Amino acid sequence: MNEKSYDEIFSLFEEITNGFKRKNQYFDILYDSISSVKILKSPSAEDISINKKTSGVVARTFLGAWKEIASDNLSDIKKIHELIPKVSNMGNKIAEFEGWTLNEEIIPKKDSSKIPIGKKLEKIREIYDYVQNFDNRIIRTEVRYMEFLIERIFSNNEGSLLRQLIPRIKLYIIPIAREGAVVDYDYYAKNGEIGFEIFDEITTEKLDTIAQNSLDMLKAITPPSGRSTVILDPSLTGIIAHESFGHGLEADQVLRERSYLKQYLHKKVASDICKIYDTPSLSGPIGSYFFDDEGIRAGKNVLVENGILKNFIYDRRTASELNTIPQGNGRRESFAHPINVRMSNTYFEPGDHELNEMISETHNGVILTHANFGMEDPIGGGMQVTSKKGYLIENGEKTKILRSVALSGSVLELLQNIDAISKDTLKLDGGTCGKGSEDFIPVSSGGSYMRVNNAIISQG
Amino acid sequence: MSKMKLDIIEKRLKAKKISQYEIFLIERNIFENIFLKNKPENEREIENTEYFLRILNQSENKTGIGIIKGNSMNLQDIDDTIETCLRVSKTNAISKYSFPEKKSLPEISMVDKKVLNDPVGIKNDLYEELIQVVNKQKDVIPTFGRFRIHVHHSFLRNSNQLNLEASKTFFFSELSLKAEKDNKLAEYWTVNYFKEREHLNFEHRIKKWADLAIDNLKAELPKPNPKTIVIFPPSVLKIAINSVIGFHTLGMTHFEKISAFSLEEKIASDNFSLKDNGLLEGGLNTSPWDGEGNPHQKTELINQGVFKNRLYDQKYALLENAVSTGNGIRDDDGSVINGISNFTILPGEISLDEMISNINEGYYIDKFSWLNPDPISGFFGAEIRNGYYIQNGEFKNPIKQGNVSGNVLQMINNCLYISKEREFAENSLFPYIAFTNLHISS
Repeated sequence: MNEKSYDEIFSLFEEITNGFKRKNQYFDILYDSISSVKILKSPSAEDISINKKTSGVVARTFLGAWKEIASDNLSDIKKIHELIPKVSNMGNKIAEFEGWTLNEEIIPKKDSSKIPIGKKLEKIREIYDYVQNFDNRIIRTEVRYMEFLIERIFSNNEGSLLRQLIPRIKLYIIPIAREGAVVDYDYYAKNGEIGFEIFDEITTEKLDTIAQNSLDMLKAITPPSGRSTVILDPSLTGIIAHESFGHGLEADQVLRERSYLKQYLHKKVASDICKIYDTPSLSGPIGSYFFDDEGIRAGKNVLVENGILKNFIYDRRTASELNTIPQGNGRRESFAHPINVRMSNTYFEPGDHELNEMISETHNGVILTHANFGMEDPIGGGMQVTSKKGYLIENGEKTKILRSVALSGSVLELLQNIDAISKDTLKLDGGTCGKGSEDFIPVSSGGSYMRVNNAIISQG
Repeated sequence: MSKMKLDIIEKRLKAKKISQYEIFLIERNIFENIFLKNKPENEREIENTEYFLRILNQSENKTGIGIIKGNSMNLQDIDDTIETCLRVSKTNAISKYSFPEKKSLPEISMVDKKVLNDPVGIKNDLYEELIQVVNKQKDVIPTFGRFRIHVHHSFLRNSNQLNLEASKTFFFSELSLKAEKDNKLAEYWTVNYFKEREHLNFEHRIKKWADLAIDNLKAELPKPNPKTIVIFPPSVLKIAINSVIGFHTLGMTHFEKISAFSLEEKIASDNFSLKDNGLLEGGLNTSPWDGEGNPHQKTELINQGVFKNRLYDQKYALLENAVSTGNGIRDDDGSVINGISNFTILPGEISLDEMISNINEGYYIDKFSWLNPDPISGFFGAEIRNGYYIQNGEFKNPIKQGNVSGNVLQMINNCLYISKEREFAENSLFPYIAFTNLHISS
C-alpha cells in the first residue's frame, strides 16, 4: 500500500466516515500496518526476513449483518463510498457507544527499531553458539527472534478517532538433545510489548538452564495415566483460564447458543478460591492494547469471583445484542481478517498458599510444567491441555521428570476441584490464539501455581 | 496489473545493478460469507497483494540472502525495500545457494474457470446451497459457519530468467452443527479447505456431520485400554502423517541430524507406501512449480515399508549434493522452507466396512480436539471429540473425551488394515488405516 502519514490517514478517514450518518447506519474504518524483523538461526540456517511495512484498510457497516471491504490499496480508499451501501434509518440495528480520541505509542526501554540488523544477528549468534556448544548431546539448537511494530488507526461515525503504535517481540530458544535413540527437548520462550531489553535476562546462567532443561528431558519417563492430584505451573494455570474456560465465555458463542456456560451466568462454576480475569489494559504483556479493532477502549473483564461466573467477554456486536458494555475484545489478526470476540490477557488471580506446602501435602501426584498447547470445547465443556513436561510427586516430594502430560476431562469438574492457589506473583506467558483454526492474534495467559484433585491425566 | 508491478520492481532492481535477485508476488482475492445460526452475519471481500524480494550476495563458500516483504508500489518505498534487502544480504551468511534455473514445467491447471470469472456469484450460489442442505437436516441446527472462495495469482521472476505465473482457486468451509436433547448438548465442528468444487459435496458431507453430532449426544467415555486397535480416517491421518512422517522425510532434517529415517531402512509396515506429489490432481498444494520456481514432481518416499527418498528444496539439495524435488515452500515472511507438497498413501485391499467387521474390539476416531504430535519424537496424546467404540465387528456406541496416545513413528509399523477407499483431506489423498497398540485412557 502506498504510505501516508497518520495525520493524512486521520483526515482521510474523517472525510470518509462523515459520509455515513450514524442515525442511518453504523460505519467504521481501520488502517492496519505491520513492520517486522525475523531472524532464525539453526545449524543450517541464518535467515533474516524483514517486512519494511505492509498495510491495508478495512471498512464496514452494520445493516443487520456486517458488510465489510478490505484492501491493501489505500489509493483506492475513496471507492469505499461505492462499495459500502448507504441506507436510511438502520442506525439502531447496533448499540451506540460514546466516541473518543487517542493517539498513543508504546516506547520500549531499548527501541529495537534503532538497533542495526547486524547487532541483532550478533546477539542471536552468541546465544546459538553458547547453547549449541553447551554439551555434545545438544544436536540442534534453534534460536528465533521476531520483532513487530503494529500500528492501528481507527475512525467511526460515533466520533472515535484513535491511533496506537505497539512494539512486540518474541524470542524462542530450542535446544534438541540426543542420547542413543532418545531425542527430546525443552524450550525457552519470552515475549511482550517490549524492546531489545528482552535480551537483558538472557545471561549465561539462564542459557545453562535452558540447555540443561533439554538434556534433562533425555531422562524423562512416560507419565502415568488415570485420575491424579495435579499441580499446574503458572503457564498451565493460564492455559486453563484461556483455552479450557475462557473460550466458552466469548459472547459470540452465547449468541450462537454454542456455549455450555450460557446457563451458568451468576452461578457457581469454580471453587470459592477462584478469581479469573481478562484484562487487555495491562501494561507489558503481549495481549495488551489501548483499544480493540472496533474502537472500544481496553478495560478489564471480571469473569469469575469467588467461584461465581460474573461476565462473558464481548465485542461491539454481542455487547449490543446482550445489552452490556464491552471491554475491548473485538480483535482482527489483520485488515484481511474478520473481527471476532477474542481474549487478551487471561489469568487466575494468585491465592494465599505456599507452593512448597502444596507439594508436601500431596502424597502422590503429578506436577505439570511448561504449557505446550490447549484446545477449547465451548459446547461440550471438555478440555485438552498438554504440558511439555512434568514431575512425579511421591510421598510429598517432587521426584522423576516426565515427558509431555495431557490433562483432559470436564472443565467445570476441574475448576470445582481446585483446592489451592499459590501466593506467587502473577506470571503471564504470551502466545498466539486462533479462533478455531485461523485468525491468529497475540494473547497472554497465566496465574500462579494451582492444585487440582482428581484430574484426568495421560501421555501428551 | 500484477505484471506491471513486477516490471516496476524488476526495473528498479536492474537500475541498481543487482545481479542475483528474485521477485515473488502474490495477489489474493477472498470472498467470504460468515453466518450466525443459519442467517448471514458478515459478508466480506478482501484484496491483498504482497511481494517478496530475495537478493543474494555470493562469497567464496557462503551466500548471504536478503529477504524482504512489502506491498507499497511507491517508487521511493520500492527503492528503500531494495536497499534494505541488499544490506541484509551483506549481513548474514549461509551455505552456498543459487536461484533455480529455467526448467521445463509440467502443464497443469489449478483454476476453476467459472470461479475465476464470477467468484462472488459462485460463492453466493454455493453458500445458498450449503445453507439449504444444512436446513434440511433433522435434529441438528447450525450454530455458526463460514464459507469462502480464494482466488490467488502468483508470479515469480528471478535473475536466471525464470518468469513464472500460476493461478489457483480453492474453497474453505467451517461449520458447527449442534444436537440437543434433555439438556445435553453435542456438536460436530469441522474446518476444511477444498481444492475442487466437486470435493465440497455438501449433501453427503453435511448429512455425515449431522449424524456425528446426533450420535455425540449418546457418547460415553471410552474404556481405558493400554493396547488397542484404533482406526484413523483420512482427515486425522493427514495431521499425524504429514506433521511427523513428513518432517522426517525432509532433506533439512537429515542434514541437521534430526531425521529418524535412513535410506533403504524398513520404517513402516509392508502394506504402507507413501508418496509426495506436487502434481496431484485435486491436491490443495498442487502447482507446476514450488515456492522458489523448481518443478513440482512425484517422489516415492516409503515403498512397502522401506524408506526410499528424501524431499529437497534448492538449499538442502545443494547441501546434500542432491537434486531439488520441488519441495521449497514459500513461507508467509518470504523465506523458502523445506516442506511437503501433497501426500498420498497407497490404498489397501479391504473396504472400511470390512475393516470394522474384522475388529473384535477397538475404536474409530473421527475427530480429536487437537491432534498435535511432536514432529521430532512423534509422541502424541489427544482428547477424543467424536468417535465410536467397536465391538464384535460393529460400532457399539459413540465415544467422546478420554485420550488416545501413541507415537506416530511407531504407529506406521503397526498398520493392521488399510482401506481401499481414499479421500482428499486438503493436501492429502489418504485411505482409512487401523493401527494396533494405541493407548486409550479416560
